[in-house]
Amino acid sequence: MAAKRVVVVGSGAGGSMAAMVLADAGFDVTIFEKGRNYFGDLTEATPATQYSNDELKSDRYFTEPDPIIEPRTYRRVGDTEPRVTGVVQAMPQTVGGATVHWDAKTPRFWDIDFKKLSMLGPIPGADVADWPFAYRDIAPLYDEVEQLIGVSGDINQIAPGTLAHAPRTKALPMPPGPSQLSSLKAVAGCAALGLHAFPVPMAINSRSYDGRPACNNCGFCSNYGCPIHARVGALAPLRVALQRGARLRERAWVTRVVHANGRATGVEWLDARGVKHTEPADLVVLGALAIETVRLALMSQLPDPSAQIGRRIMFHWFSFATAIFHSERLHAYRGRSTTHVCDDFADPDFAGARQAAAAAGLPYFRGGTLELGGSSGPLTEAMSYLQVLPAASPGKPFGTAFKQLMRSSILRDRLMGIQMIGEDLPYPTNTVDLDPTVKDYRGLPVARITYSPGAYELAAQTFYLPKLRAIARASGAETTTAIAGVASDQYPIAASDRPDTAHVLGGMSMGTDPATSVTDGDGRMHSLPNVVVADGSGFPTAGAHNPTLTIMATALRNARAWARESG
Amino acid sequence: MLSLAALMPRELLAAAYADTKPSGALTGHQAAVVEAATARLVPGPTDDPAEAGHPGAREAKVTNYISAMLGALDPSPPRVFAGGPFSNRAGSKRNDMARFIKLDDVERIGWKMRLDDLKQQYATGIATLDHAAGGDFTTAAPAEQDTILASDPGGFMSLLMQHTIEGMYSNPEYGANAGLVGWTDISFPGDSQPRGYTAVQVSRSDGPDPLELNAVVQGALALIVSTAPPES
Repeated sequence: MAAKRVVVVGSGAGGSMAAMVLADAGFDVTIFEKGRNYFGDLTEATPATQYSNDELKSDRYFTEPDPIIEPRTYRRVGDTEPRVTGVVQAMPQTVGGATVHWDAKTPRFWDIDFKKLSMLGPIPGADVADWPFAYRDIAPLYDEVEQLIGVSGDINQIAPGTLAHAPRTKALPMPPGPSQLSSLKAVAGCAALGLHAFPVPMAINSRSYDGRPACNNCGFCSNYGCPIHARVGALAPLRVALQRGARLRERAWVTRVVHANGRATGVEWLDARGVKHTEPADLVVLGALAIETVRLALMSQLPDPSAQIGRRIMFHWFSFATAIFHSERLHAYRGRSTTHVCDDFADPDFAGARQAAAAAGLPYFRGGTLELGGSSGPLTEAMSYLQVLPAASPGKPFGTAFKQLMRSSILRDRLMGIQMIGEDLPYPTNTVDLDPTVKDYRGLPVARITYSPGAYELAAQTFYLPKLRAIARASGAETTTAIAGVASDQYPIAASDRPDTAHVLGGMSMGTDPATSVTDGDGRMHSLPNVVVADGSGFPTAGAHNPTLTIMATALRNARAWARESG
Repeated sequence: MLSLAALMPRELLAAAYADTKPSGALTGHQAAVVEAATARLVPGPTDDPAEAGHPGAREAKVTNYISAMLGALDPSPPRVFAGGPFSNRAGSKRNDMARFIKLDDVERIGWKMRLDDLKQQYATGIATLDHAAGGDFTTAAPAEQDTILASDPGGFMSLLMQHTIEGMYSNPEYGANAGLVGWTDISFPGDSQPRGYTAVQVSRSDGPDPLELNAVVQGALALIVSTAPPES
């Protein structure tokens, strides 16, 4: 009998993991990637690559969809019209997905993330839920993924508070790489305040691993493709999938899941020239990243009797601190983008947090993990100075004043950044749907994002922003500030006017009740069981840490269930 | 500005507009206006005495960058995405970045729309600068050029500033940052592969390097902290 046909939509973290499992189980797997392939032979450990140390290439949407032809729209809850048409939560659309430019932080989610409703309780206005599995169920899968993609770190240095919520038994495959100077400054600041910083587990080689070289600290890390494959992410499972016979179609855009009578029968897809094709399938795996997966589900009019598709989109609610050192330069252009984290603010029982929550009328709140250190490139830096020059150089916001700022490098070489990846609750009012008027270059409706933080995120932000600034000060910097990541009614002055956190979760959430979830506990759609979800859109809650490792571990878990039951 | 036009010989004005010899995607005159304007935005030693020893847009050949960008789809392969993984600046003998990446049909659709729009903005913006200068922006006095640019006519100064920044501080394969003068002036070493950095270079301070607290830097720092929450 011919092998059952599987279409995987998306070659990123979740899609590649599912493709690996299903190809290994003998299925006939075809991976459809909407974007281009900038690699050579992906069955090799170190395929040829077009990724490079090139900030302008990155700014020119090398990996991300070009907003001129593929925009999204964004409005806040309560707005009738979009505030933004253009770049909203852009993520790479290319072979390897977002892991081609991730900074490869691989923390685990905590026990309280998987059983948030049971362990922490409800929050008014939010759909706080338990996941269909617990930390102890997914822990062995975390171990497997860490081995597969190559994680460096030292479990003996991980803070006790983190280990209490995410216990580990196995050593990581590699020791940590070199600590970045800017991260060490922040670590000192944390220590001075009694906070617990440690080298973050990250999927970057500190020695040669699985045929790939050690990281050589080139400095073009977060937001850049790795030119030497010291950081691969989804390419590791993708390689196995291709070795097991899976096929990869690049620039193949799945625009419709074809279905009838409660079963999907295949997909329609467009090639680079816009020519439509069809591909039959016995199983369709959605892994296009949360927003595009929801868009595809809605364009396909997948059965949705309880109107759950696209609800509870989650982005994480970032807050930043900036430390500017007057006495020395920190050369964050060398090394991994940040090397240390601090989890203290992710703990709902952090000193004072319960009281601050109560004062805000909440039973509890959490901030999130802190990424300690890092800076930006000179193009980003230069554009930042344009914001301050009208005030710093009145009447002439250019010329020698601009060049003096560039030479001072207060916003690059002297800068140490701290970012808090604030937990973001699942609100039924935060949604992705199809924009009623804006179309892309093929005439298809674009994704419309409707999103606002709730009292939970804002109360946590108000509590932690001053503490972020305190870490910056304690790190030894002469000038410090702190700022909200994304503008809100409460914090109109922010680093960005729109969601741009590159953490995109929810919208197709897993659950046991078809009235309140899109898929069952293994990621199969309640209403269409041979359509399954492999990306972060299945997350019932967002956690307070970088999500990719959990996306991959969840895809590994669920794909094994699909292989068992579809085989 | 009107008085300047009145003083300008009619023949000179006519000559300025008759010069349509193309320099990449810009005519000779358009390129001259871009050169003059970008040299005010990011001046070098000949443009501002305060920049003695500090090359600017003119020395970095920013006009080359802008011309190459506007005409990026003309050569094959298009000059949109430089190749990878390495240049020959940090230990590789071969410069992969000198070979640009072939665009596919989808990328070409977006870049054609972007560049058609930018070419129109440049044609209009340059004409606006000329008009504001009474006919020829390149012959206006530097102070007058500054005044015109500071008014950001039609947003064209902002657009030029963005592209001047891109040319100054991007990889030289895109047409500017000639001789790496943009990076050198800001002590940025640029692309580092395949050499990279040692663990010691990553973790250790390079030593004291006191910030010069001039008026502009002080103004910028004050603005940056002005919206900060208190520490606690």
